[in-house]
Amino acid sequence: MSKIIVCVKQVPENNDLKIDPNTNKVIKIGVSTIINPFDQFALEEAIKIRKEGDEIIAISIGDLETKSTIMRCLALGADKGILLNDEKFQDSDTFATSHILAAAVKKIGDYTIIFCGNSSFDTGLGQVGPELAALLDIPQVTYVENVEKIENGKLVVKAQTDEGYNIIESTLPLVVTCIPPSSFQPSIPPLPKILAAQKKPFEIWNAVDLGGDNNKFGPSGSLIKIMKLYNPPKREEGIVIAEEPKIAVEKLLELLSKDKVL
Amino acid sequence: MIEFTEEQELIRESVKEFAQRKIAPIALEMEKNKEIPKDVIKGMAELGLLTCTADPEYGGSGLNAVTAGVIAEELAKGDCTGSTCVFYLVQAAWGYLLNKYGTEEAKKEIFPKTCSGDWFLGIATTESGGGTDVVGGKTTIKKDGDSFVVNGEKMYISGVREAANSGGGHVTIAHQSPELGSRGMTVFYLPLTAEGITPTYIDDLGREGISCGGFSIDNVKIPKHYIIGEENKGFYIIHEGYEYARALIAVICAAAGLKSLENGINYTKERTVFGKPLAKFQEINFRLAEHYTKLEMLKRLGYEALRAIDLEQEGKGDRFETSKIVAMSKMFASDWACEAINDVIQWQGAFGYSRECPDQAAWRAVRSFSLAEGTREVMKMIVARELLGKELTSYK
Repeated sequence: MSKIIVCVKQVPENNDLKIDPNTNKVIKIGVSTIINPFDQFALEEAIKIRKEGDEIIAISIGDLETKSTIMRCLALGADKGILLNDEKFQDSDTFATSHILAAAVKKIGDYTIIFCGNSSFDTGLGQVGPELAALLDIPQVTYVENVEKIENGKLVVKAQTDEGYNIIESTLPLVVTCIPPSSFQPSIPPLPKILAAQKKPFEIWNAVDLGGDNNKFGPSGSLIKIMKLYNPPKREEGIVIAEEPKIAVEKLLELLSKDKVL
Repeated sequence: MIEFTEEQELIRESVKEFAQRKIAPIALEMEKNKEIPKDVIKGMAELGLLTCTADPEYGGSGLNAVTAGVIAEELAKGDCTGSTCVFYLVQAAWGYLLNKYGTEEAKKEIFPKTCSGDWFLGIATTESGGGTDVVGGKTTIKKDGDSFVVNGEKMYISGVREAANSGGGHVTIAHQSPELGSRGMTVFYLPLTAEGITPTYIDDLGREGISCGGFSIDNVKIPKHYIIGEENKGFYIIHEGYEYARALIAVICAAAGLKSLENGINYTKERTVFGKPLAKFQEINFRLAEHYTKLEMLKRLGYEALRAIDLEQEGKGDRFETSKIVAMSKMFASDWACEAINDVIQWQGAFGYSRECPDQAAWRAVRSFSLAEGTREVMKMIVARELLGKELTSYK
């Protein structure tokens, strides 16, 4: 039996967010949230390669609302959920986030693979997976589109590159960050599994539970300081040239010349 | 305001994803083809939506009424034609009744097939001579040894083709002791594949993905275990199913109207007229605010009605109080939603009147609900009866 850990994040459903200018934070009240789509793909890859007796553990950092994202993971097939919840975890950048996750992973112990989404839908930084691997001092494979097989203590994956794909073999344990192919359709948890998920083990761990150096968590452990958070200015409405291709090209050239682009 | 549980929110998320991904893109096509595609029905079954109120031992999820409402709300937002909403709500409401009053044998026979989407479970009380006045129906049921024989007809029934072709049947009511009036009626399950059933079809104005029709019942023999609840007590039993369906309809109407307003908001913000967005006109501002307020009130009242049903099941509610709040929730559901959608059609100009506009389909679907499962007028009678007492009501 091996433990497979999947790190998941709750993100806003769309990017139409309001920011409180006084606190420099996104206003969360009334904002609809979802599981980060890359993280759901990572979870589905973990479920795909699981063997009998393997335990898939979904972990997430967040407020108590984040429990719903973990419950979704349990409904999709994870066996256990852990919410990392403490005031000290708030306002963590990716580096501090990686420290929190690394502490949780060490506490879980005896793991073989840690799955992460390649990046998150909201910030899109893509740092947590690699930083987590570095802190745990284990190998990492990023941009994984398909976990091919796990055999003789080694994992074989298909990873995206700028030119195509690499087939990579790695020893265990390792961190795998996943990016779904365009054809990926996230599974929808059915009602009976949602109801069954309520009976699966779920724990909440705080900073004391994680132990270690708490200064690595939250603002004190963060390398990035946010000076100001604001919405980008709205883009001007575009122009649609609904004409036959030949006429459309002529009109486009005319507009580009007028704006001195050409 | 009802607070939904974490479980209900997860169910909402699943149904929302399914409805937006699998139903919304093909909704108008369902009306053209006059059927809900098999893969949509299969998907609904796999998700556990069909007869979801049946207990798990029969293949259902044993959901309570509020949770059934959450599903109805998300289907209504995803399906502008209302076809899958009707397909769902009828099975949820009448599955609830069968689950509560049906025999063990019937539940074991019917639910596994309705939950899997192979069969359809409908409701058939209306006759060509009358609908909400079920006592005015002419259909009869008579004991014949260990079986029963049914004669008569039913008309304006949803899902006739679905049950006649694929299997399944309808929860039906008929006079067993005609001399006793409402105290002599019996509820039963009538398979539409039985010998002696002849279906006919009607071209409905809306929700065209699900069939509407009727059937004649000519000496149809049904086994004893198809009787639902006590013989001659059907008039009282059937109203529990009606109420379940009515409260779901209130939520469906609110959701369909709010979805249409969302379409209207998007359109009027983008569309410019006389050099400014359409949304800037006070006429639109005020009407939008009025419709939104009414529909939010309606949605909340719909959920309160569903909660009243749940409380009654838990032994914490009162039968007549439930009837009242359910009737209150359904009374203006169709009217308010129709008014809102009608304005959204108006805001969208010529496009609003085209078959390509989802809102015209939503209007046609929602319009049916001031008739289906009890008319607006009967809802008023029920509320007045509870306020004034039986002696001063306008009917007996």
